Amino acid sequence: MSIIKNWYKNVYHKLFHLDDRLLLIIAGICVGICSGLAAVALRLSLEVVLEWLHPFRHYWWAFLLPAIGALLSSLYLEKIAREGAGHGVPEVIYAVSRYGGLLRFRSSYSRLISSFLTIGSGGSAGPEAPVVMSGSSIGSSIAKFLGLNDRQRITLVGCGTAGAIASIFNAPIAGLVFSIEVILGEWKFVNIIPIAIAAVAGAEVSQAIIPEQILFNHQPFQVGASDILPSICLAMVTAMISVLFTKILRQTAKIAKKSFFPLWVRAVIGGSTVGIMAIFIPVVLGEGYHFIQSMISGTFSMSIFFIFVAIFGKIFATAMTLGWGGSGGIFAPCLLIGSLTGIVFHKALFSLFPSIECASEGAYALLGMTGLISGVMQAPLTGIFLIVEITSGYETILPLIVVSSISSTMSHYIDPASFYFKELIERGQFLRPGTDARILADLNIRELIETSYIKVSENMVFRKFIEILKTSQQNFYPVIADETGEYKGVIQISTIRKYALDPGMYDMIFLNQIMDTEVMTASLENDLQEVLDIMDIDNVDSIPVVENDKFIGMISKTMILDLYRRELIMQTSVQ
Amino acid sequence: MELSVFDLSKYLGVVPDTIERWARQGKLPIFKKGINYRFDTKELEQWAGKHNIRLNFSDKGIVEKERESIITLSKAVQNGGVYFDIQAKDVNSVLKSCLEKISNIPNDFKTDVLNRLIERESALSTGIGNAIAIPHPREQLIYLTDPLVSICFLANPVNYKALDNQPVSILFFLLCSSLKMHLHLLSVLSFCLRDSSFVSFLKSRPDPIELIEKIEILQGQNPL
Repeated sequence: MSIIKNWYKNVYHKLFHLDDRLLLIIAGICVGICSGLAAVALRLSLEVVLEWLHPFRHYWWAFLLPAIGALLSSLYLEKIAREGAGHGVPEVIYAVSRYGGLLRFRSSYSRLISSFLTIGSGGSAGPEAPVVMSGSSIGSSIAKFLGLNDRQRITLVGCGTAGAIASIFNAPIAGLVFSIEVILGEWKFVNIIPIAIAAVAGAEVSQAIIPEQILFNHQPFQVGASDILPSICLAMVTAMISVLFTKILRQTAKIAKKSFFPLWVRAVIGGSTVGIMAIFIPVVLGEGYHFIQSMISGTFSMSIFFIFVAIFGKIFATAMTLGWGGSGGIFAPCLLIGSLTGIVFHKALFSLFPSIECASEGAYALLGMTGLISGVMQAPLTGIFLIVEITSGYETILPLIVVSSISSTMSHYIDPASFYFKELIERGQFLRPGTDARILADLNIRELIETSYIKVSENMVFRKFIEILKTSQQNFYPVIADETGEYKGVIQISTIRKYALDPGMYDMIFLNQIMDTEVMTASLENDLQEVLDIMDIDNVDSIPVVENDKFIGMISKTMILDLYRRELIMQTSVQ
Repeated sequence: MELSVFDLSKYLGVVPDTIERWARQGKLPIFKKGINYRFDTKELEQWAGKHNIRLNFSDKGIVEKERESIITLSKAVQNGGVYFDIQAKDVNSVLKSCLEKISNIPNDFKTDVLNRLIERESALSTGIGNAIAIPHPREQLIYLTDPLVSICFLANPVNYKALDNQPVSILFFLLCSSLKMHLHLLSVLSFCLRDSSFVSFLKSRPDPIELIEKIEILQGQNPL
């Protein structure tokens, strides 16, 4: 018995403690499969509900369907799941950078349900972000179950994201790249292998369960050198559309926030607007995968004018859905808008130069998608690899790189923050690994406080203080009230020097007459950035920390620098 | 607006060498290259906003806090006045009868000032020895417009519980509206009283004008 126990202990130890890479790979496979299943579940249920609702689309009240969906979705998120609306990707990024990837288990299904309600009823949004949220939350929950530390949990959150994206698009490398480029923000050796394996696992799951419904069937395209020049022009167009899309999304959300309607009324307004638009432009409904498929295969038949209108219709419909209370992501809308842009561009190109020799409409739809993804998310690699995998070949790589780099550079030039990061930057929550903001956010005031200070009474005579001064090393003496122990002020050696050198003053003054009461104080709730700001404004090196009128300790720039440097070494060292 | 390396170093609070290194390493938006780098204010503002860096274009922080106008001791003595031959028996009556003489305190406030002075004496005697005392309140008298130092000579020495147990015959009433002023006058006064020739000059009960002239000379020698 004891032999088995020992053996088990040994194996367990070896598996889970000595080599955490192996552990992460095994856990990563589980996370990849689970998030792949979540993605498949959402896709399948969306298919079913779309078919089920199809006959009702011809009734006059059909425009109310998206409104009902958005209403249910917002009520569900608000009352039952108690989570904020929106797409969830910024929340995942923030959780990764601030809380070591800690997400609630509830998030693994709540966004799936709410986005199912929104998109299934016809709201214009994508299922990717909810699936990413769900996959990350599954990763976080599995890490919690295994008792892993923050670093390992972050890897598993990345695995969940990668599995989800890989499963939805049947594109494992795109999943890997998206996870690292957008969610984690750092290319670390220990992360890449588990995430890559999770991505493959996710893709395999969707291939095994719904092979006939794979979003983009691999199909090759003939793209030649003559397409370079048109792709440069297309990239500029997609950059403009990306910026416009981001602006409209944010503006609409702002207007909705300012309006005095309750949440559910907002959702109804947003939903019915989309419903009414769908009567004239059916492309705006739902996540639009079917339209994308037909555009890639070149069977999409609409006049150039209608497609042109549809681009802006889709932009507006997505903004109305997401900004006014619906739930879902922007990935699918990006793809749809991108492919519409690509096709408009192709048609315009042919009407201007009928004799031009270039690739088919489908290829331009794909290029447009790359342009939009690179522009809106400012994630050029994700855009490139997604399309490379969809076309299953490297023939298109040159125009892809051209479009992707130009589009992301241009939109970065116009607006340096991508759609995902913008919210975080506005809230001061954009904390990429190895940055100043991240280190300052990680360091807690409690770690920096020096508490061993001799306190002096405000009614102490100066002569007595001089005696203390002779024997102690401190440069600062906190002054407190006699009865209450309240913090009153601080005595700095540098400011009282002239009195200390004048024995005639010793019996003439009390400490509350020479203490400095105007020194700004920090409290334990302040974060380090605020403390440093206070120091900068006052131009001082140390400030007292006061909590509930009680002196806690001093915080000094010397201590901050010391710990800051250690923290930087810890955070940037290679594991 | 164009900025030089030196200007920018002031705004960023680092030495020019650091600015040059940053410029060489491509970390700053450079407006003009060459031996002397030039920077553009607008570009810098954008760059600082993006990187969460504080730029002090407004010269704030460089300007020191405005100094409060400091009155000299001789001026304060002129404000306070010099009084001779005051009759009293003990600490409280000394303070009371001196205060009655001092003309620059509004009558309404005299009882308040007296209470504060008695309170201060009960905490610790202000008799600094050598027959001299510096009565003053612990809290400042915000109703006073100008700081004043009144010198009172007693007719007979009085037991003031001074630090050296000697009876006191000369009192410097130190009454100010601000703490800073109070500390300043106190330190100048303490400087003067350390001069033994000044103390013996005081004991000769000099003429007020001569006394103020003497204080003027002495305070000029004060290094602080």
